[in-house]
Amino acid sequence: MSEWPHWLPLLAVLPLLGGVLTPLLFRRRPVIPCFWAVAVALVTAAVAVMLLLRLIDSGDFSYAVGGWLPQYGIELRFDQIGAFALPASLLVMLALVFSRHYVARTVDPEKISYYYALVLINLGGLNGFLVTGDLFNLFVFMEIFSVSAYALVAMARQPIAALAALKYLLLGALSSLLVLFSVGVVFAMTGTLNIEDAAVLLEGSSSMPAGLALAGLATGFAVKAALFPVHFWLPDAHAAAPAPVSAILSALVVKAGVAGLLRTLELFGGGESLYLQPLLSLMLWLGALGTLGGALMALVQRDIKLMLAYSTIANIGYIFIGLGLATTSAVGGAMVHAVNHAVMKSALFLAAGAMIHQTGLRNIDDLRGLGRRMPATAFGMAFTLVALSGVPPMAGFVGKWQIALGALEAGQPLPVAVLVLAGLVVLAFGVRMINALYFRPPARVSTVSSVEAPVSMWLPVLILAVASLALGLAGSSMLEFVAPAVQAIYGTPP
Amino acid sequence: MTVVSSLASHIDYLVAVSLFLTGAWILLTSGNLVKKVIGLNIMETSVFAFIVTTGMVDEGAPPLVAAGLQGPFASPLPHALVLTGIVVAVSVTSLALVLILRIKAELGSVELDEIALAPKADDSAGQSNQRGSADE
Repeated sequence: MSEWPHWLPLLAVLPLLGGVLTPLLFRRRPVIPCFWAVAVALVTAAVAVMLLLRLIDSGDFSYAVGGWLPQYGIELRFDQIGAFALPASLLVMLALVFSRHYVARTVDPEKISYYYALVLINLGGLNGFLVTGDLFNLFVFMEIFSVSAYALVAMARQPIAALAALKYLLLGALSSLLVLFSVGVVFAMTGTLNIEDAAVLLEGSSSMPAGLALAGLATGFAVKAALFPVHFWLPDAHAAAPAPVSAILSALVVKAGVAGLLRTLELFGGGESLYLQPLLSLMLWLGALGTLGGALMALVQRDIKLMLAYSTIANIGYIFIGLGLATTSAVGGAMVHAVNHAVMKSALFLAAGAMIHQTGLRNIDDLRGLGRRMPATAFGMAFTLVALSGVPPMAGFVGKWQIALGALEAGQPLPVAVLVLAGLVVLAFGVRMINALYFRPPARVSTVSSVEAPVSMWLPVLILAVASLALGLAGSSMLEFVAPAVQAIYGTPP
Repeated sequence: MTVVSSLASHIDYLVAVSLFLTGAWILLTSGNLVKKVIGLNIMETSVFAFIVTTGMVDEGAPPLVAAGLQGPFASPLPHALVLTGIVVAVSVTSLALVLILRIKAELGSVELDEIALAPKADDSAGQSNQRGSADE
């Protein structure tokens, strides 16, 4: 065994350790934690880069925690889903850079070290969740990133934040328990907690308990991912949270639910189980409803952060359409869109946060005319909105194109209609926002007197905006990269 | 008859599932935030009870290496899982209770319908106030 797998646990251990140490080391110094947290996230991202190079070089590899071999011990596995740890670490790093000036005004000074600690712990939970190959470990990491996310939502000062956080907590805990219950059922059926091992033992079983476990896992992760009928916790929580936290929640924490669903499909994969096909159809149609509903709701919002939150629901719908279609191009497109949407939506939430920070206003109509006062931020937002609406060759295009292609391959033209329709609606609210920023006279005094945000705020926005173009250009290599994972999860789809 | 006897032999699973559903019902339908947390705890307990019973082996011995103890052994793994689960449940419950305290302090109630009514009652006064404190 080479020494490479030993780097794997660092993905989760570094941010967790760094997070726990933050309040211990810097409790009385509100400035240092930011630099510390950025450094920790940067080192984590560096580890992820090395692991990713290794993955591209010679395929996925695993690490037995504590030397207890898989099947008995906990196995960490780095595959294409685990590779999402790299964008996760980088996005969290940019959100942390953004936080420096933002948090100083939105969070009480004595709580600042806890804020950075929670963000790092959230990253550690996410990374661990992505790389673990053990069902119970999956639950534990899920709770780590969920509980830290609940607390982060409550960090905002406004009174509605605590209520939004509690709603999020109750729904989140309910879904976590569904997952834990299903893990218990799988353990009772197979006597193992290792995902690969359990998948072999289950053999795509069609027994009643297997159906129960599949339903529990799918429902639990669908709540985490905010799939259409169980999405109602999302708009409040994402709109109430501090802007960098909204970015992390919308970009990453929601995607973890998608990753969990991919692991579930892996567990029951092979297409043998009788329950799998109905589940996939359900995901397809709920995804389609979510896409349309989310896009329409985004269009009628007045609050900019609520608009972005509903747009997240629409994009989760896209991803689920892709996963439900179960053709190679659609699933690959969905996985790529998960990454691209993460980048675009964090850019948008950070830009919105910068605007709210500078003007104190959050209604779209009040933000009119800000394009000239905050050129960098407004450009980042406008550019990313164009990318999000799916203009080729930018990042929003790749996933949607692949999903539409997959729908035609599967002989289902209706999802294509949904994609086109929702794309138009997304374009409509993008145009509305751009119009307000650049082509309308200012409606409020505070927008006229406002100035560009500090560099630490607009630079992450611009980096992410550029990334949303670069990722679009790199679309085909990303699709090539995720192809083995699609094969592994869905067997060999048509 | 076979259904009844198989149900009777899995009475523990039945109890766990009915507790789970009871908890879920309270969590989803109660308007009182504290009661919702209690419902959540009932659900947690049912899941833990379910997982512990999966480790049970009829006539099983404690899983220890000692003189006089022979297999079949009861599975010790579920206990380890449930211990971890309890730690998670305690932290979730404590966070929920702290949030409820803050809601009570800031919004004046732990009843969802009263909270929903409150902002509408003082809309004119609350609007500008909320605007000012909203995020910034």
